[in-house]
Amino acid sequence: MKKLLVLCLVLALSLTMLAGCGKGSGFELALVTDLGTIDDKSFNQGSWEGLKKYATEHNKTYQYYQPSEATNAAYLEAIDLAVKGGAKVIVTPGFLFEVPVYMAQTRYPDVKFVLLDGEPHTEDYATYKTEANTLCILYAEEQAGFMAGYAAVKDGFTKLGFQGGMAVPAVIRYGYGFLQGAEAAAREMGLPEGSISVMYNYSGDFAATPENQARAAGWYQSGTEVIFACGGAVGNSVMAAAEASTGKYVIGVDVDQYAESNTVISSAMKMLGNSVYQALEAYYGNKWDGGKTWVLDVNNDGVGLAMDNARWRSFSKADYDALYKGIKDGTYKINNASDISIADLGLKYVTVTEVAD
Amino acid sequence: MNTLFFLIQQTMFFTIPLLVVALGGMFSERSGVINIALEGIMIMGGFCSILFISFMQDTMAGQPLLLLAILIAMISGAVFSLLHAYASINMKADQTISGTALNLMAPAVSIFAARMIQPSGVQQIQFTNTFRIAKVPVLGDIPILGDMFFQNVYLTTYIGVAILIIAAILLYKTKFGLRLRACGEHPQAADSVGVNVYRMRYAGVMISGALGGLGGLIFVVTTSTNFNATVAGYGFLALAVLIFGQWNPWRIALAALFFGFMKTISATYSSIPWLVQLQVSGYVYKMIPYIATLVVLVFSSRNSQAPKAAGVPYDQGAR
Repeated sequence: MKKLLVLCLVLALSLTMLAGCGKGSGFELALVTDLGTIDDKSFNQGSWEGLKKYATEHNKTYQYYQPSEATNAAYLEAIDLAVKGGAKVIVTPGFLFEVPVYMAQTRYPDVKFVLLDGEPHTEDYATYKTEANTLCILYAEEQAGFMAGYAAVKDGFTKLGFQGGMAVPAVIRYGYGFLQGAEAAAREMGLPEGSISVMYNYSGDFAATPENQARAAGWYQSGTEVIFACGGAVGNSVMAAAEASTGKYVIGVDVDQYAESNTVISSAMKMLGNSVYQALEAYYGNKWDGGKTWVLDVNNDGVGLAMDNARWRSFSKADYDALYKGIKDGTYKINNASDISIADLGLKYVTVTEVAD
Repeated sequence: MNTLFFLIQQTMFFTIPLLVVALGGMFSERSGVINIALEGIMIMGGFCSILFISFMQDTMAGQPLLLLAILIAMISGAVFSLLHAYASINMKADQTISGTALNLMAPAVSIFAARMIQPSGVQQIQFTNTFRIAKVPVLGDIPILGDMFFQNVYLTTYIGVAILIIAAILLYKTKFGLRLRACGEHPQAADSVGVNVYRMRYAGVMISGALGGLGGLIFVVTTSTNFNATVAGYGFLALAVLIFGQWNPWRIALAALFFGFMKTISATYSSIPWLVQLQVSGYVYKMIPYIATLVVLVFSSRNSQAPKAAGVPYDQGAR
């Protein structure tokens, strides 16, 4: 009896495998997820939506692949899998793909790679090389952060908080942009020097934990009015803390997070889907821009502030348009360095209290 | 003064889930089954109850919904723990391995199920927190005490305290408790006087499952706005609390309070002026609970209160 069962199983298995072979071409567009899953309400999801949109509009087959763990080897394995699955373009969201793509771009010269938020390099950062089949897309986070800080101060807040995740360059640029935005708004409004205070912390993770909730609750309790939560699920802890107090707000990050909590007043966004869509459009329009790095900013709708579902008290769409234009035409100069300290930003109107992890 | 009230309220958010889960672990280990699956059980309990909340929150809200969710969490935790019970009691499997299996399985199952069940097809389960009690009527107006314990609280805080008292009575003042402890210390002796060791161990594991599941719900409700298939290692932390508390309910309560307070300090010291002035690194506060656990283990290893038969599958034939 047992033997019969085993035989049946083997037969069934081999049949399904054969059926898989018969299918042929496979999936033309592929996305390999980084830490987290396809619906992380952040990087993976944002870029996946762009890919899906292009694929359905242009009738292409598409699929995503999730690495078994967050190591270069596992990422590379997932890329191998995507290529075997027939991928012509592989989208890799996140700086964690810098090393895997560096290796994959030479291994598969016929496959195109779209690397978001990073540039391929070797593991020791010694060699940076972007081959002709790779397109890198970077974002001007400091501009998105700037808008968030500016809008918060314009909206009447004076006690702000910045809760980052891991202190990676993208997060740091968000944070520094946020501070500079608050500074610019305070100067414009003629507030006295040192009138804006900012609590500033990197939690060192991207997770919702009681520690993150308690830290945010502490800030709210000691007077902080709005916290820019810039670290994936860390934001959910900050929202939980805001919900447990009255009249406290959160600024979301990367995608419009208004639906996650009523306390989300707006979000500093990267137009991830947009950029993936643009890259795919370029590929199929024979305008593949390989070997280059696109830095997406206000000039090509790469970053922005969520206004459609915003809950600002007085900051209006007109204010936002003026701000957007100001950044575009250079009225506002934003420092985009991430390897300097806060003191180097030369803030006068904003006092920053740095909180160690 | 406000800072003090705030600290106490926050400490409760940390302490209660740790306390409830550690008490659960206590019942299991006192019956002779090591339960390192607490983390996985918390995840399953949190998953089922938060899913329930997210489906029901359009029709009901507040404390009735929370009470029902608590029931769901406890049932689902107990059911999930049955896997551990069956493997380690009936099949006499290595309890560490079966516990680990549950820990690995829980997040995977909850992600898969969340995607299958939810119309949106995503793994996070959103919920609206309508459970916080800004102020308990009457009691909240008591000066000082009211501020400390009856404002800005969750119903689960009181349930946690009630569970502590019930657990202590159950373990030390009832026939059931005596038999349970006997099964963890010397199951052969218990069997020889007619106690059904298998049944007692099943009871121990299922109580730990119910409390673990409840702990998962409390953890998620107080610290996030969605459930994302994780409880951030608090199941393992509860194990540390259990050992620190030497398998005694009152000591476990003290240990949970200590852990909770130190965790609160390490997370919020930036908002407490006199702690900022001390200029002590936040890392020090973070380390203290773990260093304390190690110290306690070093000093208590000689006369450890660990149940003698914990971790040893009971074999009736080997009597």
